[in-house]
Amino acid sequence: MEEVTEMLSEVNWSLIVPILIIQFVLMVIAFVDCFRHNRTNGPQWVWILVIVFFQVIGPILYFIFGRRND
Amino acid sequence: MRQWFILFKKECLESVRNFKWLWIPIVFILFGIMQPVTSYYLPQILESFGGLPEEALFDIPVPSGPQILAETLGQFSQIGYLVLVLAFMGVIAEEKNSGTQLMILVKPVSYGAYLTAKWAHMSLLAVTSFILGFSFAVYYTHVLIESVPAAHVIKGAVVYILGMLFVMTLILLFSTLFNSRAAVAFLTLGLTIVVSLLSSLMPNTMRWSPGMLSSHAYSIFGTGEGGEAMWLSIACTLLIISVMVGIAVYIFRNKETASHSS
Repeated sequence: MEEVTEMLSEVNWSLIVPILIIQFVLMVIAFVDCFRHNRTNGPQWVWILVIVFFQVIGPILYFIFGRRND
Repeated sequence: MRQWFILFKKECLESVRNFKWLWIPIVFILFGIMQPVTSYYLPQILESFGGLPEEALFDIPVPSGPQILAETLGQFSQIGYLVLVLAFMGVIAEEKNSGTQLMILVKPVSYGAYLTAKWAHMSLLAVTSFILGFSFAVYYTHVLIESVPAAHVIKGAVVYILGMLFVMTLILLFSTLFNSRAAVAFLTLGLTIVVSLLSSLMPNTMRWSPGMLSSHAYSIFGTGEGGEAMWLSIACTLLIISVMVGIAVYIFRNKETASHSS
């Protein structure tokens, strides 16, 4: 446990936070779109799980394969 | 010209509505930031998870600025191209299936304008995403490791963008040839990989090829000068791009007139 806290304090958070924010923004856009857009390829709840639980890859997969454009 | 601009605006509006103008730039920015940061923290990451012996850790040097920029371009050439190809594989097939294409083409719209507007929009979105993502990579490299001269960065990026346009043109050409989206994606990615592989295996016979552009970009980051025969491959790429756009328009016109008259 001490090792983990030590490692966390060593990390320069000003570098990591932008990455986390961008990941979060991507997730929120995909989530809101999936939630409002009722027509997805495959069940909607699966896509919501994919978006929320797979960082970066999940939202990208949703935008490419999950979204139906018509 | 006015007609072309209207078609172009329609493409942009469509991409804004289905969030392409949002998520593709975000993906490029994300990978642009991640590459310098992971390179910078690599020794610490290995130390905490890798279980390498102590002596091995001293041998991992922090890479130089130009090297990190080159690695970022490598990331863009893999994940970036994958994302772009998957995002645009349906550029023509989708409109065909939904019937939009028919509604546009019954109007007196030239096939050339229709296709080049699509091409221009795809390229604009790809280049904008690349510039955004790469600016973040340059900034993080500057803060974390060392700064690379701005002139080298810009020159290298321009050379790399040309290679990107080549890939976008491939997507367009294959979309006019095949109705299946999977075929478009596989052929574009496959051909891109084959071209870059051949270029790295036989740099002499492939000195003209668009696949050489990224290695020229790498050497520009380091030294400010492209490799041997850089202008040859730039000229050839420009030629290939314009010929492919021409072929795409020709095929598309023939195919559509044939299918409408029958």
